[in-house]
Amino acid sequence: MAKPEVQKNYSLKDSIYLVELLKGLVLTWKHFIFNIGASFRKGPHTIPTTWQYPEDRRPISPIFRGEHMMMLDETGRELCVGCGMCAKVCPAKCITVDNSKVPEGQEDRYAGKTYSKNFNIDLLRCIFCGFCEEACPKGAIVLGQGYELAAYTHEGCQLGKDRLLENYKKAKASGTLKPALKPVPVAGAAQKAEATSAVPEGASKAKPEVTKKVLKKAEKKAGEGE
Amino acid sequence: MGEILIALIKVVFIWVWVLLCAVVMTWVERRGAAMIQDRPGPNRAGPFGLLQPLADGIKLFTKEDIVPAKAKKILFMLGPLLFSFPAFSTFAVVPFGDKFVIDGKEILLQVSNVNIGFLYIVALGSMAVYGIILGGWASNNKYSILGGLRSTAQLVSYEVPWGLALLAIALVYGTFSLRDIALAQSGTFLGVLPNWGVFKQPLGFILFMVAAYAEANRVPFDLPEAESEIVSGYHTEYGSMRLGLYLFGEYVNIVTLSSLITTFYFGAWHLPYIDMSAFLGPISYGIASFIVFFLKVAFFLWLFVWVRWTVPRFRYDQVMTLGWRELIPLGLFNIFVTALVIQLTA
Repeated sequence: MAKPEVQKNYSLKDSIYLVELLKGLVLTWKHFIFNIGASFRKGPHTIPTTWQYPEDRRPISPIFRGEHMMMLDETGRELCVGCGMCAKVCPAKCITVDNSKVPEGQEDRYAGKTYSKNFNIDLLRCIFCGFCEEACPKGAIVLGQGYELAAYTHEGCQLGKDRLLENYKKAKASGTLKPALKPVPVAGAAQKAEATSAVPEGASKAKPEVTKKVLKKAEKKAGEGE
Repeated sequence: MGEILIALIKVVFIWVWVLLCAVVMTWVERRGAAMIQDRPGPNRAGPFGLLQPLADGIKLFTKEDIVPAKAKKILFMLGPLLFSFPAFSTFAVVPFGDKFVIDGKEILLQVSNVNIGFLYIVALGSMAVYGIILGGWASNNKYSILGGLRSTAQLVSYEVPWGLALLAIALVYGTFSLRDIALAQSGTFLGVLPNWGVFKQPLGFILFMVAAYAEANRVPFDLPEAESEIVSGYHTEYGSMRLGLYLFGEYVNIVTLSSLITTFYFGAWHLPYIDMSAFLGPISYGIASFIVFFLKVAFFLWLFVWVRWTVPRFRYDQVMTLGWRELIPLGLFNIFVTALVIQLTA
């Protein structure tokens, strides 16, 4: 480690200090004037580093993982068949699904032969990983753009079917609706992962549903192994 | 009777005015700091956050008033009072405008025109240190006492260059009365410059400014409350309105020091090259002189804020070196040169 160089012999200009002080004052004055101008400008987010939250909102990525919603198909039927894959894959175990046969005469409400009678997401447990979205065979559950999830009660943190469907309506109205994100399969990644002993066990057992991230990691590790 | 009434009105008026300045200063400091640091600052309470000082005041008043168990109670309560009292009292001799003339009677815009205004200022200036050291001592807290001791050493040290700069001013104007000094600064000097103290005493002005920053415990001399080293220094243990008095006293101090700088070095209520009394009526002239004076003061108030968010704090030994080994010799040199020039030109 090289010692940091400390200037010991100051020139007269430096030791008088007033010149440097004036330079500093000019610098802060420039900032002051710029920000005064910015604060009088109209429109949101005029001061460069601060977002005035309730008024200014940061743009969210289109694949942001926020509040969940339950998707409907083009004819307005629920896509969910109540298979429970989401509940299985959920690492936080926050989803509970009760499935049931679609009753006679209600085929126009549900797309499949079965449907989820009860569907509940406990937001207090949810870690917004998006596994449910990736696991769902019907693309029925999608993580949307909502992130203001504060509530006063435990019940307020439960996403029942009513709230999930309402979120869908809201997303459709605001035009932020997007299809469920699916993992991008990487050619040969799973086989490679199996072939290399350096890969942890969890990754080698990976099934086709395994997430994009795990796959990528496995591939990277495999690449390093070779 | 009339005299007493006029004096009372003047006292109440200037007291309220200084309070108002200090209140607005807390807002200016916070918003100014924010603007310099690229952030918006408190902008929610009222238009531009102007009601923020009021909100802070309500908060401080309604907070629990805690006296630490091992604190010296009487001294603990005396500290903030002793700190803010001298700051207010110094304003008694500051001329904050020229005069009104009503029915041929002159009303000076100054609470009392004493001919030893200098002594009064210097004496009260050193009083403030009692508030700080008592607060630090009575808190029974190591950070507090460190802050108190630091401020004592600092204030006592910087009193000397402060006084030396004032002495040079007294030499130039040949009077101890602040009003006479202010009056002497009308007209021009050497034909082109306004007849202001800063042009006659440029070195003295710098000395006075530096010492004033140290006297007010402001950055870069805020050693007594250095947050990163000793929490909050002498007011670590204070809360509620006692803390409010300390914080408030600091701003009153700044207003007072800015007024002194304006009076001694920037021509008090005189505009450069323009004699306002020539074309303004007796009452409007009084108001105009008051406004001019406080516009100048406002600039120095802003300078206090501006410097605070520009310069880092000095190390303790640097503060002492600057005070004793640089400012005091410079102050003596300044007096010597001033006396020489006066002697040669007289």
